[in-house]
Amino acid sequence: MQTSLMRRLAPRNALYFLLFAVPGTALFAVFVLWPLLVAFASSLTNENFYRVGTSFVWFENYGRLFSDPAFLQTLRNTVILTLIVVIVPNALGLGIAVLLDRVGWVFNAMRAVFFVPVVLSSVVVAVIWQQMLKDDGIINSSLRSLGVTDPPGWLSDPSLALFSVSGIVAWQAVGFCVVLYLAGLQSIPKELLEAASIDGAGPVRRFRGITWPLLAPSVTIMMVLSLINGFKTYDQVKVMTNGGPGVGTTSTLAFDVVHTGIDSGAVGYGAAKAAVMFLIIAGISLVSLRIMRKREVDL
Amino acid sequence: MDESAGMKRKWGETVPVRTHRDVALGVSAQPLKSGPQGPEVQSREPDAYKEPVTRNAGAGGSANRRRRGKGRIDDGRPGLGRTLAVLVVTAIFIYPIYLLVLNAFKTQEDIYRYPGLPTMSLTAQNFVEALTRPDGLFWSGLVNSVQITVIATLASTLLAAMLAHFMVRSKGWFPKMLWVIIPLGLMIPPATTLLPLLRMLRDFGLIGSVFGLILVYVAGNLPFGVLVFTAFMRTIPKELEEAAAIDGAGPIRTFWFIVFPLLRPAGASVIIFLAVGLWNDFVSPLIILGPANGTTVTVGMYRQISEHVSNYGAVFAYMVLATVPIVILFIFLQKYFVKGLLSGAAK
Repeated sequence: MQTSLMRRLAPRNALYFLLFAVPGTALFAVFVLWPLLVAFASSLTNENFYRVGTSFVWFENYGRLFSDPAFLQTLRNTVILTLIVVIVPNALGLGIAVLLDRVGWVFNAMRAVFFVPVVLSSVVVAVIWQQMLKDDGIINSSLRSLGVTDPPGWLSDPSLALFSVSGIVAWQAVGFCVVLYLAGLQSIPKELLEAASIDGAGPVRRFRGITWPLLAPSVTIMMVLSLINGFKTYDQVKVMTNGGPGVGTTSTLAFDVVHTGIDSGAVGYGAAKAAVMFLIIAGISLVSLRIMRKREVDL
Repeated sequence: MDESAGMKRKWGETVPVRTHRDVALGVSAQPLKSGPQGPEVQSREPDAYKEPVTRNAGAGGSANRRRRGKGRIDDGRPGLGRTLAVLVVTAIFIYPIYLLVLNAFKTQEDIYRYPGLPTMSLTAQNFVEALTRPDGLFWSGLVNSVQITVIATLASTLLAAMLAHFMVRSKGWFPKMLWVIIPLGLMIPPATTLLPLLRMLRDFGLIGSVFGLILVYVAGNLPFGVLVFTAFMRTIPKELEEAAAIDGAGPIRTFWFIVFPLLRPAGASVIIFLAVGLWNDFVSPLIILGPANGTTVTVGMYRQISEHVSNYGAVFAYMVLATVPIVILFIFLQKYFVKGLLSGAAK
């Protein structure tokens, strides 16, 4: 009786299907899935904007990728940038969140401050920092007035620019981490901490024994998000260095994909880079999803 | 007064423990005045995003508060050292934003001469300049940005809610397939599909159009909304919908009058999350709208710096103006932002 009633009431009529399932699915198929398939397909061709005649070359583009020093440099840049963007903001963000986890108007106001970069466009962030870091910008002119005769060219020195760009991406991510870790810290029941301190645990002990394990899910989430965002970095590179100085010294995967496929017109080769990028990000997402599921079971 | 008397009775025996705790924390014992601490604790209440569910749980709110007022270790009155440390760290962290806002009010000459200091001759001239550019870059960008953000956010949120309802409440191969392919959408970086999208929009005659960009956004952000809504919908008792169905409402009416109103908190999360992301997006409007047919405010900033690097005051003023609308929206919906971040990320 119960099941037959439920079956009868299950929303199955045609209008419902047409209105609820079809529009979303259709849009998703046309504007997300189809372009992905097209990208894969064109990665198997030698198509180029500036050349007539396109032929099917199977996996030639992929073979070329991994012997292309420019692409290997892009990969290395992306990995370095991502490592910085995962480690620095998470460490700093956690520290600042612990510092900020108090009540009082000062602390409430400071919390709001850390929200600001989260809302800012990465273009804004890139322009501000570019202005500060340029050779005669505020940072170098301050260094000069402090007696440094030859301050570094933060964005003009090919060996330094990648680290400057990574630092800026990291700076914006700090705000994100602080906000998320504060939410995590405040969901920890204070009774636990009180009980521990009654038992004589000091602040370090309490952090290691209670706060850290209970914060672990937030840390995992934030690490995964930073990892994926790091691999997707485009805006800051485009705005601040356009891949330079020199050739490709700050080029990242996303930048390289757009640069090769759209700006330089090497459609097939760019699509192969896009496919590699998709596989890397999908791989990270799937592995981290599995880790998080496992963790949920453990908790 | 009443409350503190109550606390004395209830917590009288814990006073030695507190001393012990203070010793453990290495701070000098503070007088246990409930006066200054009471309001502080209450000041946490309005900020719902800081107030996790576990703490609101149960009807023992006042007992909870009382215990927090007196027995808390970690949320007690912070020491001077910590306050100073927080102020210094925050000041260093926020310095670039300070520079942005400050220099937006300065003349070009002053920016070069005193980059980090406020000067006597602060001026709104940069803002006037940004707002009255002959090509109307700011205003056309603003119109585009508002259009794109509002329409794409609302359409994507509504479609995601409906699709999520279908996925949660229906059975069969079709919803099952959706459960596989929709999460896939979260893993596709925009850069990878841009070129095929560009050509498809050209074939449709939508290249360089706001409408084309909106379609791309609605579809691309659907997976995030679906994930948040499906998680949330599972917490809505099915009986509610069954009751409506027994009363004769069809699935569409049931959704619109029963389910949709209940989705409000999740909907707010999705809306603020998408709106911030779309307003600030750079690569899609840069490529899809192209150079010819106007821009969004975010791409407009980029166009400005590539065009006259000499006058940074005007660029900064433009950036402040371009950021204000989304900051205002964010202030109203910020507590939902963190929730959206958590729910979207956790799944």
